[in-house]
Amino acid sequence: MTNTQRYSAWSLFRKGLSRSPWPRVLDHHDLQPSYGVVIVGGGVHGLATAYYLARNHGITDVAVIEKSYIGSGGSGRNTAIVRSNYLTPEGSRFYDRSVKLYEGLAEDLNFNVMFEQRGHMTLAHNDASLRTMRWRAEVNKLEGIDSSVISPEAVKELAPFLDVSDHPRYPIMGALWHPPGGVIRHDAVVWGYARAANARGAHIHQETEVTGIDVTDGRVTGVQTSRGPIATGTVINCTAGWASLVAAMAGVHLPITTRPLQAAVTEPVKQFLHPVIVSGSLHTYVSQTSRGELVFGASVDPFASYSTDGSLEFATGLATHVLELMPAIANMRMLRQWAGLCDMTPDFGPIIGPTPVDGFHVDVGWGTYGFKAGPVAGEAVADMIARGRPGELIAPFGLDRFEAGTLTAEKGAAAVGH
Amino acid sequence: MLVIICPNCGPRNSDEFTYQGEVRPRPDVNETNPAEWRRYLYMRSNKAGWVSERWFHVSGCRRYLMLERHTVTNEIRDVEPVGSEQG
Amino acid sequence: MSSHRLDHQPGEVIDRSRAITFDWNGYPYQGYAGDTIASAVAAHGERVFSRSYKYHRPRGILTATYHDPNLMVQVGDDPNVRAAHRLIEEGMVVEPQNAWPSLDFDVKAANRLVGRFLSPGFYYKTFMAPRPLWPAYQKVLSRFANGGRVDPQTEPGRFDHRHAHPDVLVAGGGPAGMAAAIGAAEAGASVILVEEERSLGGHLRYGGSEDLTTLADLAAQVESNPGIEVMTDSVVTGRFDHNWVSVVQRSVPGVSERLVKARVKCLVVAVGTLERPYVFEGNDLPGVMLSTAVRRLINLHGVRPGERAVVLTANSSGDAAVGDLERVGVEIASVIDAREGGSVHTADGSKGVTSVLDWKGRRTEADLLVTATGWTSPTALLNMAGDRPVYVPNAARYVPNELPEEVLATGGIVGDGATDHLIAHGIATGAEAARRALMVRAFWQNAAPAGIRTDIPRVEPVGIPDLGHDLHPEMFRSSTHGIVDFSEDVTSKDLISAAKEGYDSMELVKRYTTVGMGPVQGKVEAVNAVAIHGEAVAASLLETTTTTWRPPYAPVRLGTLAGRKYEPVRYSTIQPWHEANDAVPLVAGQWIRPEHYGDPAAEVRAVRNDVGIIDVSPIGKIDLRGQDVPRLLELVYVNKWSKLDVGKVRYGIMCAEDGVILDDGVTGRLSEDHYMMSTTSGGAGTVWNWLDEWLQTAHPDWDVKPTAVTDGYASINVAGPRSRELVSRLTDIDLDPGAFPYMEVRTGTVAGVDDCFVWRIGFTGELSFEIHIPSSQGLDVWEALIAEGEDLGVRPFGVEAQRILRLEKGHFIVGQDTDGLSQGFGFGVDRAIRLDKADFAGKPELAWQAERGDYPHLVAIHTDDPELVPLEASQIVDPDGTIRGRITSARMSPTLGRSICLGQVDAVLDVADRRIEIQLPNRKRAPARVLATHAHFDPEGTRARG
Repeated sequence: MTNTQRYSAWSLFRKGLSRSPWPRVLDHHDLQPSYGVVIVGGGVHGLATAYYLARNHGITDVAVIEKSYIGSGGSGRNTAIVRSNYLTPEGSRFYDRSVKLYEGLAEDLNFNVMFEQRGHMTLAHNDASLRTMRWRAEVNKLEGIDSSVISPEAVKELAPFLDVSDHPRYPIMGALWHPPGGVIRHDAVVWGYARAANARGAHIHQETEVTGIDVTDGRVTGVQTSRGPIATGTVINCTAGWASLVAAMAGVHLPITTRPLQAAVTEPVKQFLHPVIVSGSLHTYVSQTSRGELVFGASVDPFASYSTDGSLEFATGLATHVLELMPAIANMRMLRQWAGLCDMTPDFGPIIGPTPVDGFHVDVGWGTYGFKAGPVAGEAVADMIARGRPGELIAPFGLDRFEAGTLTAEKGAAAVGH
Repeated sequence: MLVIICPNCGPRNSDEFTYQGEVRPRPDVNETNPAEWRRYLYMRSNKAGWVSERWFHVSGCRRYLMLERHTVTNEIRDVEPVGSEQG
Repeated sequence: MSSHRLDHQPGEVIDRSRAITFDWNGYPYQGYAGDTIASAVAAHGERVFSRSYKYHRPRGILTATYHDPNLMVQVGDDPNVRAAHRLIEEGMVVEPQNAWPSLDFDVKAANRLVGRFLSPGFYYKTFMAPRPLWPAYQKVLSRFANGGRVDPQTEPGRFDHRHAHPDVLVAGGGPAGMAAAIGAAEAGASVILVEEERSLGGHLRYGGSEDLTTLADLAAQVESNPGIEVMTDSVVTGRFDHNWVSVVQRSVPGVSERLVKARVKCLVVAVGTLERPYVFEGNDLPGVMLSTAVRRLINLHGVRPGERAVVLTANSSGDAAVGDLERVGVEIASVIDAREGGSVHTADGSKGVTSVLDWKGRRTEADLLVTATGWTSPTALLNMAGDRPVYVPNAARYVPNELPEEVLATGGIVGDGATDHLIAHGIATGAEAARRALMVRAFWQNAAPAGIRTDIPRVEPVGIPDLGHDLHPEMFRSSTHGIVDFSEDVTSKDLISAAKEGYDSMELVKRYTTVGMGPVQGKVEAVNAVAIHGEAVAASLLETTTTTWRPPYAPVRLGTLAGRKYEPVRYSTIQPWHEANDAVPLVAGQWIRPEHYGDPAAEVRAVRNDVGIIDVSPIGKIDLRGQDVPRLLELVYVNKWSKLDVGKVRYGIMCAEDGVILDDGVTGRLSEDHYMMSTTSGGAGTVWNWLDEWLQTAHPDWDVKPTAVTDGYASINVAGPRSRELVSRLTDIDLDPGAFPYMEVRTGTVAGVDDCFVWRIGFTGELSFEIHIPSSQGLDVWEALIAEGEDLGVRPFGVEAQRILRLEKGHFIVGQDTDGLSQGFGFGVDRAIRLDKADFAGKPELAWQAERGDYPHLVAIHTDDPELVPLEASQIVDPDGTIRGRITSARMSPTLGRSICLGQVDAVLDVADRRIEIQLPNRKRAPARVLATHAHFDPEGTRARG
């Protein structure tokens, strides 16, 4: 760390006494005419990549180009759930690494990201989903991940507000229980990575939009921005929502459709719900923040769009489903709703790695899972840039798999999300 | 909730329809190669702007429709039954 | 008599003849009908209603509206109730929410002493180490939750929804809104007028006698106009794509709340303005109130807000408050005129304001400090309509900028003017809204081919007079620091230090300090926050953007959003019999089906030894007519269909274009151009749409008419060696094996019911007849089969027995033994996939799949231990734990007396007698072997053909 003051209870106390200001988390820099690496997108993926490039590989001639403010896209709009109980071995392994990084992130970044491992519970309302839960649990166990199927009685004990009574349409027949899963302060993750990357020399340019990508003879040579051109031989597309548009600037076409994913939050009430609750059949997930609000999410919108306005039918559908699960909270009030953009791929797996354009790399197509993967994707992409080829953890997620017809198997249980 | 003006049924809420999105022409199944076929399956323009896409009036007249929608503002124009554009 | 209750006021909304007793903070209080909780408590001279979130400072009435951040209370099991909105009721129990252990004594108020250490985002900077202590920190932090409590026993109220299709919807029932409604209705539009308060009038309600006269006149006009529907105590919570507008009606007889979903042809935003607080040290003390709050308390509720007042006024509302206070005998200690540069430096006091220090350092004793320092424009609906309102420095507030065609604005949110000027603006805006709406109405009517042809009215746009802006000083913060966000306890100092720390865009400041994130969502403080942030980054409001107001404008109960509980399920017409005979229900998609009738093993034995009947009505049935049906079947199934004679049925598999198995079922040819297709029960809708898609998008010239008839037929499978004998007793169809062989279909009468069709197929592996009966008579036929078969040992069987029977036969179930990546080859039906056909859905992918040959295979498996039934989804693993497959189906077979399985395995494991290991959920490994054929029982299939 170069120009950053350490955060601790002691520094907080001293600042309180002296009332002197804290040092800036981010410095303003002029846009340099060239950078070794240009990262497009100042969300958790881009900032984590910049951080791990510096920390693990000593690569600091790095610019992160963000068209709005850091974390303004998916990183600040998701429901901040972290878990690793995926269906496939490669998915489980990958997200397990992410959970491990999240567990150590506060100490690593010296920034409290408030990871609360409240446990993650995916409800099964019919035989078929119970079977899928078992499938996930069995694969997870083989990968050494704490994950098991629990009974309705155990569900009730962990989350007393859930209605486990006889229910004609959505009985709770059991659940997949994943104790290491939980929620985190997503903004803190963004700021923590930004502060740490900034301290190690990366330039983070906010309010700077990439308007073009220069490609000569199949190689990246530079990036055009709203603040001027940058010469570079390495560009990493770490955007979500605009991934296919940014890739198209380099002439790379991605098998992505962009869909809004909506979320909502209620007014705060005293704590009553500890674990994160997910119902695939009801397309709903819910958790309570330490501030007391319930945070809700659902499945992606029924049609592709770049609009983040949100819809009434989302709110009404969501409330219907939440009250199926917890009828006693009918008087809680929805405070606000919002939407983020998700880049959906045909097999619901991300696209990470090189592209047909030399020097142009992607870390995109995260669908609804991007936030969970931020640390591990950043680490793996930094590693790929430093070593010149994708590592084992991200090898299954290359762009070439779509033409090759070797889709990732997460599609097998795509309906059970988040 | 959008309004789609169905040529058969008039203005209807979009939840009466299912969305198929952009469609690409189907290659000749006996001549195609994996790259071409998978572009047909997976590649869409995904433009931020006006796109031509297919919807199905599943809870109405059950006609497949082509329409133009602006993917940023969700404005809709030019709703036509599939097939009518050729004749 | 309450200590602070005034004599009768001309505009008061309380009924002094009806006293009401309720509980506040553990003590009984009295008020009148029409009193809100806040007004009734304030009438007793109480000033503290809550404690603040972070510093636990005492808080009292600030705005006296629904949006008052300090007036959140618990009423019974209802949390976060707005005390300035909810009316008191006899026996109501109201408690403060955030005041543990009490309003008066509050240990957490010690926080105030350490407030200097609770800088914004302090929690990001500490509690990091040691890591094992973090859960303990979490517990402490979560004790701070700023809200009421929910009770698991809460009985949800009754909520409902209504769809509305007004030409014009006016949001806001003040003078301009009422005028707009009148203007629109007079121009021929149907109008809904929505007002947040319990009666129309806006600020006229707490104005002088002239205002009250104007109000009465406008209200009479609105009421007498049949084209206007008035919704009071209702709020427009959102405006969505294509002018879809949500309204919450809070007091509708018979329901707790109602959500109105209105497709509005033209929306008129007449929401007025909200008065904003002023930021200075002590600005959150009880007794510091907005001028509109004081005017509401006095004029609407007859409550004296204090004894001795200082008034800081920058506008006519502050001046009016001075007049009201004087009129009711509150001593005016000082009037500070901000238009002449006056300001407040500090308010002092502990549980309420006791003195005020002005900008010249003069101290005045007072228990009431009234501020009138400007207005916040509630631009939520404008934002949701895509507008980016602009800041007008002279007026010190935001105004609309560019609205889409289908949205107009009028009244205070647009500009200022005398009441008659506002009314004129409203009437013209309403007329213009009607003009636009009526054009849309005519266009929509003409858009439906069956609709009435209407001429699109060609009316000239209505001229709308300009509304100017009264000069108003820009007042956001005094020279001292104070609270900006009352719900979140965010101070002006916090905003400035956050910006200095590098959180220097408004959105980052908002997220870092949580300003505007509390229950009032920045409504009252938004402009102050933006201005103070601008101060920190040296930008004026003209340069900074305000944050986006997201829906809903006001919080909405989940119950209201959900409406009536409506989750339809499907039952077969035979359901009454199942219920009467104790069938155990099973959820299968939308269908509720009998899982079994008490003993599935006995049901299996009945089918294998005698005869059983199962209700298979949920099977998808699609009637296909036309000359080109064979071409369609050839296209959607992977197997050959061209030569299917009349009277034959054939099994087929459908794949999607990516080669993944979509559905399976049998299709029979009933007559020359008439076919019946069956699908899985879950796939019925998908397949029907799939057929229509091919026909409409690829082959519109083909003569095929698909009709879904799943609900048109009840379906009963009669299975077992004695099924022929049973069915023959009830039908005129010749069931002789020669006359009606396996895989054929016949039509005829069954149990006296005409127009049945029967096919001979064998999912269970037994001789069986699947009878499809016009659904209204399904129950009759079922009962006849039960009655006639008594001597044959007939027994009903459910889905569980059927699953066992089919597993014994090795028949797979799409979606259970296959998954989202299962392409056609590998499921024991490889020979049916005819790559030599010219074309069919998924053909190229299946051709490549066959070339690759690396796909998983479905195999039958026996565990070495015949008693062991591995749980479905158990993994098949190598000794080192590498996953090689999984069990997809497993049951104990009553027929074979041992466990049987199907599983997907790597292709190389598909070798007869190959040894494999199954990892059980308890982590033990079970040895097992792969069988040569899928069928565990009767592999030659002789029984079904009998």
